[in-house]
Amino acid sequence: MASDFVTIEGKSKNYRAAVIVFGILALIGLICFALSYVFGHQLFGSSNTIPWGMPIVLAIYLIGLSAGSLILSSLTYVFGKEEFRPIARMAVLLAIVLIFGAMISIAVDLGRPEKFWRLFMFFYLNNMTSMFAINGILYGGYFVISLVYMGIILANQKQASRFMGILAVCWAVLVHMGTGAIFGFVAARETWFSPIKPLEFLSAALASGLALLIVVTLLTLKLSGRSINKGMIASLANMLRMFIILLFILIVVDKLTHLYEPARDATIFMLAGEYAWIFWVLQIGLAVVLPLAILFHAKLNKTIKWITVASVSVVIGIFFERYYLVIPGSAYPLHFYPGKIEGVYGAVGTFQIMPAEMGLSLGILALLALLFLLALRYLEALPPKPMESPQPTAASPAPSASATQTTG
Amino acid sequence: MARWGMVIDLDKCTGCQACTVACKEENNVPYGSPRENRQRTEIYWNKVIAVSRGEYPSVNIEMIPMPCMHCDNPPCVQVCPAKATFIREDGIVVQNFRRCIGCKYCIVACPYGVRNFNYKEQAEEKYHRPDPPPDRSVIGPWPFPTRTHGVVEKCTFCFHRIDAGLKENKTIGTEVVPACVESCPAKARFFGDLDDPESIVSQQVATRGSFTLKEGKGTHPKVHYLPK
Amino acid sequence: MLPDNNSENSPAQSSEEKQSDGLVISRRTFLNASAFAAATITASYLLKKPEIALASSADEPPYGVVTDKWVATSCLNCPTRCATRVRIVYDKAVHIGGNPLSRVSEGENCPRSHIGLQVLYNPDRIKSPLKRTNPQKGKGIDPGWTALSWEQALNEVSNRLKALRDRNQAHKLLLLYGLNTISNEDLINRFAAAYGTPNAISREGLENEADKAGQWMADGNYTTSAYDLEHTNYILSFGASIIESQKPLARNLRMWGKLRRERPNRAKIVVIDPRYSVTAAKADQWLPINPGTDAALALAIAHVIISEELYDKSFIQNWTTGFAEYRKLVLGSHSPEKIALVTGIKADTIYRIAREFAQTRPAIAWRGRGATCWPNGSYASYAIFCLNALVGSIDVPGGVIYQEYPKYKEMPAITDDSIAREGRTQTSLDLRRKDKFIAAGVVTNQAADSILTDNPYPIDMAIGFHSNFNMSAPNASRWDKAMAKIPYYIHVAPAITEMAEFADIVLPASTFMEDWGYDHCPPGSGFYELKLKQPVVKSVHNIKPTGDIIFDLAKRMGGSVAQSFENIGNNAEGFVKYRTSTIMYWDNLLQKGVWAGTNYKYYKYYQLFNTPSKKFEFYSGNMEAALKEAGKWTGDRTACLPHYEDTKFLGDKTAYPLILTSYHPLLDVDDGNQNYPWAQEIFMVMHGYGWTNFVEINAKTAGSMGIKDGVMVWVESPVSKIKARARVFQGIHPQVVAIAQGQGHTSCGRWAKGIGINPNDITGVDYDYISGQSALFNTRVKIYKA
Ligand SMILES: Nc1nc2c(c(=O)[nH]1)N[C@H]1C(S)=C(S)[C@@H](COP(=O)(O)OP(=O)(O)OC[C@H]3O[C@@H](n4cnc5c(=O)[nH]c(N)nc54)[C@H](O)[C@@H]3O)O[C@H]1N2
Ligand SMILES: Nc1nc2c(c(=O)[nH]1)N[C@H]1C(S)=C(S)[C@@H](COP(=O)(O)OP(=O)(O)OC[C@H]3O[C@@H](n4cnc5c(=O)[nH]c(N)nc54)[C@H](O)[C@@H]3O)O[C@H]1N2
Ligand code: SF4
Ligand code: SF4
Ligand code: SF4
Ligand code: SF4
Ligand code: SF4
Ligand SMILES: [Mo]
Repeated sequence: MASDFVTIEGKSKNYRAAVIVFGILALIGLICFALSYVFGHQLFGSSNTIPWGMPIVLAIYLIGLSAGSLILSSLTYVFGKEEFRPIARMAVLLAIVLIFGAMISIAVDLGRPEKFWRLFMFFYLNNMTSMFAINGILYGGYFVISLVYMGIILANQKQASRFMGILAVCWAVLVHMGTGAIFGFVAARETWFSPIKPLEFLSAALASGLALLIVVTLLTLKLSGRSINKGMIASLANMLRMFIILLFILIVVDKLTHLYEPARDATIFMLAGEYAWIFWVLQIGLAVVLPLAILFHAKLNKTIKWITVASVSVVIGIFFERYYLVIPGSAYPLHFYPGKIEGVYGAVGTFQIMPAEMGLSLGILALLALLFLLALRYLEALPPKPMESPQPTAASPAPSASATQTTG
Repeated sequence: MARWGMVIDLDKCTGCQACTVACKEENNVPYGSPRENRQRTEIYWNKVIAVSRGEYPSVNIEMIPMPCMHCDNPPCVQVCPAKATFIREDGIVVQNFRRCIGCKYCIVACPYGVRNFNYKEQAEEKYHRPDPPPDRSVIGPWPFPTRTHGVVEKCTFCFHRIDAGLKENKTIGTEVVPACVESCPAKARFFGDLDDPESIVSQQVATRGSFTLKEGKGTHPKVHYLPK
Repeated sequence: MLPDNNSENSPAQSSEEKQSDGLVISRRTFLNASAFAAATITASYLLKKPEIALASSADEPPYGVVTDKWVATSCLNCPTRCATRVRIVYDKAVHIGGNPLSRVSEGENCPRSHIGLQVLYNPDRIKSPLKRTNPQKGKGIDPGWTALSWEQALNEVSNRLKALRDRNQAHKLLLLYGLNTISNEDLINRFAAAYGTPNAISREGLENEADKAGQWMADGNYTTSAYDLEHTNYILSFGASIIESQKPLARNLRMWGKLRRERPNRAKIVVIDPRYSVTAAKADQWLPINPGTDAALALAIAHVIISEELYDKSFIQNWTTGFAEYRKLVLGSHSPEKIALVTGIKADTIYRIAREFAQTRPAIAWRGRGATCWPNGSYASYAIFCLNALVGSIDVPGGVIYQEYPKYKEMPAITDDSIAREGRTQTSLDLRRKDKFIAAGVVTNQAADSILTDNPYPIDMAIGFHSNFNMSAPNASRWDKAMAKIPYYIHVAPAITEMAEFADIVLPASTFMEDWGYDHCPPGSGFYELKLKQPVVKSVHNIKPTGDIIFDLAKRMGGSVAQSFENIGNNAEGFVKYRTSTIMYWDNLLQKGVWAGTNYKYYKYYQLFNTPSKKFEFYSGNMEAALKEAGKWTGDRTACLPHYEDTKFLGDKTAYPLILTSYHPLLDVDDGNQNYPWAQEIFMVMHGYGWTNFVEINAKTAGSMGIKDGVMVWVESPVSKIKARARVFQGIHPQVVAIAQGQGHTSCGRWAKGIGINPNDITGVDYDYISGQSALFNTRVKIYKA
């Protein structure tokens, strides 16, 4: 059995308004980028203590979302779970858009973005012991693979899409573990240095990717006036619960191992220092406690509304997990020498919220939303509207000329 | 091949910071501003940190001059995707602005906080020396008198001096030394070949319990300290 | 990424012509052909205006030719005046290094030597003479400067000078001067004498007068001491910041390395200071002392040394007088147990350091301004100095030695006239040696009050050479009022400082990098050393060396003043050439920049002591004579003995429970300006911050007041109050608040203005009445959250 896929008309007021708003935001982001390119990263909040800022937060966050939703698409294309087919295309599409966003984020965070190509001179100009260089391969490959995957799916190639699905999923797992390794393999930073960072990243990716997929699915289906399959959403929510638990276990293990180590003051700072509220309220609260409370609640976990709340909460919570890792995670001063280092070299790093950086980050998100909207307009990624195609019959001529449909 | 290293004698050191200023002068390192100081976006190739212990009146503050440690096992090199920072055969860890893409990974990875990002385009007057050094023909395009924003920089062990000195058959460590060594009024800094047991640095390292910073990190710094 | 900004520095500027005048050691590097080709390609790529570089005419060197020369000169970022060598590339000074020929600092300098580049290229310098258009004077009031030519400016000034003199009121001219080259000081003083004013007032009343008076009481030499660091085994520092400020700083830094690890025996260093200074941090022991009680501590140490008979008997017997009286005083009431209560230093510690000091010879007791800039600071200085005599550390290797100075060519006597003679005999404005200040050489801070009260007479006109008393004198706002009151003020300096803002005419003087001068160090090395100052580059601004300004003014005055300046060289350069002609050939001096004297000779007891007894005096005959001369002799013999009286503080202890102290951090550039980013960005090394100073408070004290590190606080004294950031610190006496000198400028330029605070805004006015030394550390304050 196959569900049919259509594009959206893109004629509704809402759609246009959304395109325009996202377009303007993306333009603002572009301007912010241009400014930062001309005036340098002084426009950003980062420093030699906290070298990475919002773009990197965004990059690893988007990679997570991307890998997560791609892996979910495999449920249909690899494991043949038909109940998820209606959203499978959207999942792949989302994955592509998000990895694209991640790569843009990395590029704009480079001091010399015009030298972005240097990240992709595999082996030749690259130093292959660098996780960045390895991730260059992983991200580049991932982008290409997902594009091919999408193409095959759009072309309704069942066998091939199964094969590509397997490849894409494995690759997505690597991508995410590779991203985790960027942090996990840095011995200089006690709070990051950990062999389970790649796994932690993976579980965060799965949870956040799935949560975002739920939100986007619900949103898109609702806004484009399509029906929502409650059972499907509920089973997605079930899965989300699992991923959150997995993530939680990994977070606990990670923190415990770091606390057990004698050099634990950075971890204590993370858990009890001046930024700890971000961890407890925004990360643990939003990404773990609230969603689990909802999803384990016998009644709430059945309503679309509360599942949405839980998913949104996870999406936000995991954003702050990333934020917390990158920014406060490097704020704790390095101990060059035993004792209390006086002054700036011993001070906890400060990170200012700078307009250009925020504009740039929002711009990237807006650009992604824009791309997604445009993709929906031109690629057949959505299940058809209920009145157009109530039965799963293939290729029944659509009354609306603007919507073409295929299966896949 | 030599393995260049430095010894800083904390008993002789006066915490005067001549090393910091001389390095700025020699290598055209731009200066900062109050805001950049607080935010730590000022650039220093060498800095002197104050580390305190104890309470009044049993207080103890040590001042530790910190150039790049030129690790034998440098994490910054390991993580640099663009081969912009690399270790030369003589052990000097150098930084090539032209290759650097500004990903800041090396800043994250350096356990000694000696790497600096150029957060802004430095105005011309920030460089006190707008000319290329005269000996450029001999030593190649180093050190860059200017750089763009968006690249990372750090102490080079003044290898332009070392290379030029070697060409002129001078003795490194006595006749030719890095700028910070040359201008240290207490003569607390020594430079030379760590592989040569006769060199001044090898001799100094052997005098009394020398140590390196963060020994546990396995970076094997080539900057050694002698205790007070 | 590539060098791209040499377009402004077209090689056309490189100084071929300078080669022939023999002033410089020149080296020209011609690149080989291939490098030249490469350079040309790079040049055309890099240069914004490639035509300029490539179209080199016949007399311009082609691109790729580099003029690289070293000019020997000396530093004036503090009174140490170290010899330097400046590297000039393309007519730009790019590097300042030590001069290996200098033996004072063995070719090494302090970090501020490099900052000479930023002194020279300070973008906020005065670029031409300026005249005030706004008649109203006051802090923060815009003077409304307009530029004028040197001719106009000097004419105006000299006419005014002439008119005052012609009115027979030469004494109403006031000359103020801060840190100048020795040659400029000589010219300023000669000008004062020839013009006929007793009022050449230097800044010395703010710095070491009490220190000098203490030595004068003991051995008759009104000077600070030189210490033979190279050979000493033990240093007891009483408030001397040996490696941050004490003169001669660069030598101290060099010797520190030496006496720590360049000799078989490592010297021990003990620092007595209420503040944990860098010197204390680097010393072997820090003894936080109750402020103002150094004399008591010195006497207690003497108590131990004498009672345990650890003193140098042969020196005491042969070369001192008054020992019995001193011994009686010391043994009578200065037991360590008793003094421990005064100084806050435990009795056992006093015993221990006294024994160490006496037994680890040669040892030095070093008196810094921390111990002597107090009421009765002369006695503190005397008491500390006597410790050296007790252990025989007078003119011995590793002890106190006596500075020698270069023997410059004598100048002919000035041409006197009756105006000059009469003027000079008037009471000096600072009331030196009159009733108030018995033995004073100069009482800098008194000048402001004298101006304000027209005592002894109103001042009509003043010239300030390189001084900034509106920042550097306690209760600085009095100087604002005083300077505003002076009808006509001429400021001679390279930058608009707080004091310059009160000027009617500003004459832009050259910085020491463009100046002609001869210089020598303050006491330190023992042996003498002459250092040259010569312009290292041609200045781009319309400026004049201070010496030229003085010569020019004298010439314009005509008559005896002009005659006094004839035959001594005619201008700054000529004057230096004239004065140094007895020491070194000019060409040689220009090349080497330094003339080091012969090795120091120790044990010159027969000629050292300038006292009535021609010996070292534990009971001061000089003091007795001075008291008698001033009509203040009461027969109380303690007035002539080193003794301690309860410290006098300004302000009531209950209202103002804390004591304000100030100090010179190493990066405090001693030219009244702080407009130097290299100095600013690493200003507070102990605190790890730049571009500021702090209100440093003891952690417990701050805790009891609920003041947290980094918050803004008010510091209020009976004089005024200022707001600044608190630095909660373990390294400071619980009753002391420290504020570093050097910040708090309201003028000076982009990198100085508005940064930090000036302790002198709240420091009260008090003196050591013997020497006229300003008391700097006895103001009480209170602190509260802002
Ligand atoms: N960096 C720098 N160096 C300079 C100068 C400069 O401006 N900047 N100026 C030069 C000049 S003109 C001079 S006069 C010299 C001055 O050099 P120093 O004589 O060393 O004077 P300060 O640097 O003011 O240091 C005074 C010290 O005394 C301490 N102190 C305060 N009260 C007491 C007390 O009651 N007892 C004791 N034992 N100590 C106390 C203070 O905490 C401070 O550490 O420095 C010269 N060198
Ligand atoms: N509270 C407190 N007050 C103190 C001290 C303290 O420790 N605590 N220290 C005291 C001491 S030791 C001293 S010596 C005094 C210093 O007090 P001042 O002698 O007043 O010295 P500066 O403040 O250095 O002022 C120097 C002036 O010279 C100008 N100038 C700079 N370079 C040149 C040049 O090359 N040529 C000419 N012609 N002019 C130039 C500057 O613009 C500035 O106006 O301060 C004293 N004040
Ligand atoms: S100290 Fe830091 S920058 Fe220097 S070699 Fe080691 S890791 Fe690299
Ligand atoms: S910032 Fe430059 S030097 Fe550092 S890792 Fe990235 S490319 Fe290499
Ligand atoms: S070796 Fe050279 S580059 Fe490194 S700190 Fe010293 S002066 Fe600077
Ligand atoms: S220059 Fe020498 S004495 Fe001064 S801080 Fe540096 S290492 Fe220490
Ligand atoms: S000690 Fe004084 S004169 Fe010598 S280099 Fe330092 S600032 Fe200049
Ligand atoms: Mo002074």
